[in-house]
Amino acid sequence: MANIHVKTALNNIRRTPFQALSALFVLMITFFVTTILLIFVYSSNQVIRYFETRPQIIAFLTDTATELESQDLINKLKSDSKIRNVTYVSKEQALEIYKNATSENPLLTELVSPSIFPASVEFTLNDLSYAEGMITELKNESIVDEVGFTASLGGEESLTDVVARLRQISYYIRLGGGIFAGFLLGTSFILILVIMGMRMTTRRNEVEILSLIGATPGFIRSPIMLEALLYAFTGVFAGWLISLLIILYSTPSLLKYFGEIPILPGDTITLLSIFGIILGIELFIGTLLCLVGSFIAVSRAGKKK
Amino acid sequence: MFEFKNVTKSFGKVRALESINLSIESGEFVYITGPSGSGKTTLLRLILQEILPDKGQVIFDGQDLSKLKIKDIPGLRQKIGVVFQDFKVIPEKTLWENVEIALAVSKVPEKDWKDRIAHVLSLVDIKNREDFFPSQLSGGELQRVSLARALVVNPKVVLADEPTGNLDWDTAEGIIDLFEKINKEGKTIIIATHHQGIIEKHKKRVIKLDKGVLTFDSKKKTEDNKSVKSDENKIIESVEPVKK
Repeated sequence: MANIHVKTALNNIRRTPFQALSALFVLMITFFVTTILLIFVYSSNQVIRYFETRPQIIAFLTDTATELESQDLINKLKSDSKIRNVTYVSKEQALEIYKNATSENPLLTELVSPSIFPASVEFTLNDLSYAEGMITELKNESIVDEVGFTASLGGEESLTDVVARLRQISYYIRLGGGIFAGFLLGTSFILILVIMGMRMTTRRNEVEILSLIGATPGFIRSPIMLEALLYAFTGVFAGWLISLLIILYSTPSLLKYFGEIPILPGDTITLLSIFGIILGIELFIGTLLCLVGSFIAVSRAGKKK
Repeated sequence: MFEFKNVTKSFGKVRALESINLSIESGEFVYITGPSGSGKTTLLRLILQEILPDKGQVIFDGQDLSKLKIKDIPGLRQKIGVVFQDFKVIPEKTLWENVEIALAVSKVPEKDWKDRIAHVLSLVDIKNREDFFPSQLSGGELQRVSLARALVVNPKVVLADEPTGNLDWDTAEGIIDLFEKINKEGKTIIIATHHQGIIEKHKKRVIKLDKGVLTFDSKKKTEDNKSVKSDENKIIESVEPVKK
């Protein structure tokens, strides 16, 4: 039974190729932009999270600090509600970080051993206003040698300012992108409405005949709805596929450019999973868009009779 | 099968049907005739529930059609095969597809389609044209397609609105012969026509309408004649002894 509807829908597409192409192109562009926008939302979240989780305070421990004493300090910091992301960096890890940072100049790494690097405890403050009190408190700890602060207090270039500025930029881009994507979705919706309306007008004679031989409204609507669904699936998939290919092609360059900021997942499986989720969301939106559009067009044509 | 009880229908100030009372039994072959505008098509449209009567009842198989819900109208139409004067075939579909769509509408299982279409196309004698589009067929062939589409769903009743209106005498004869053949299989046939030659040649029940009024029903006339004859016999019987 469904075959006859599929056949009718495909015949309709074949007989009016330019209408079909215009619907497909608009849907494709809409979902291409939507996919890129969703990837941008993911990347901007990653960037903000990266900056937000950078350690703001580093407490360098004395060489005499025992493992137990270090653990006590870590536990104490972890239980403090003003603090988050507490991490312990051992002497060996510190050397590794140094080696990575100076990898371009091997001579610098040859001369050092783990013993010259102090172990440290790094953490982020929930609010920079706690910084002064926290630094004083840490300095009083017997196992703390020195306290480093990566954000300047009250300065314009503090990490908080950077994060706030990033948040603002990201918000405006999301808002602008959202409005643009909404505009494109609206255009797609109207185009589907117009094309399906035209389809109903050209099929008026057929609709009358079908109705006289006992076709239900659902039977009459089915090929039109199927046609709209075909546009939705093809348009969404084409737009999504183009974005995927562009992102896959540019990922290595982007990852290299942004360095340790993970704006996109490094491994292909995670990247494809994200794209899979996006495809699911877009198929849902596209299906809804086309079904509602064609349903309204069919109902309007029915009323005109 | 069909019963019209005091049915009246007007279109604005024009009275299309006026207090029509008639009944059609299952398996009957009926011609509804009369000049243009006499109400023949209105009668058929009332059966198909395209329009509703202003007054009275149209009853089909004991069911008052005016009480039928909108969602049940497709079900009613699926039980009735319709043949139209202007054929009403879908120009974008081939002959085969035009017949096939009726099966899809009636939800006949797809596995049966091929056999049923082949059977009905050979019945109406257009089997060798199955891949033709309507624009490639003659008027007679198109009417056969229309008839094939009506018959393929095995309806209880076939309505035909001026099925020979656009056809020459020989082709019209062929179409009516087909209707007779179908009627012999037990189907009820109701044909609206003003083709007097056809009506006179094929002696069937004739219902005449004029300006929306039922002016003649051959079945009633026969019954009246029978009752008049039996009354005459009674009088003769009662008079004869006196004569003797």
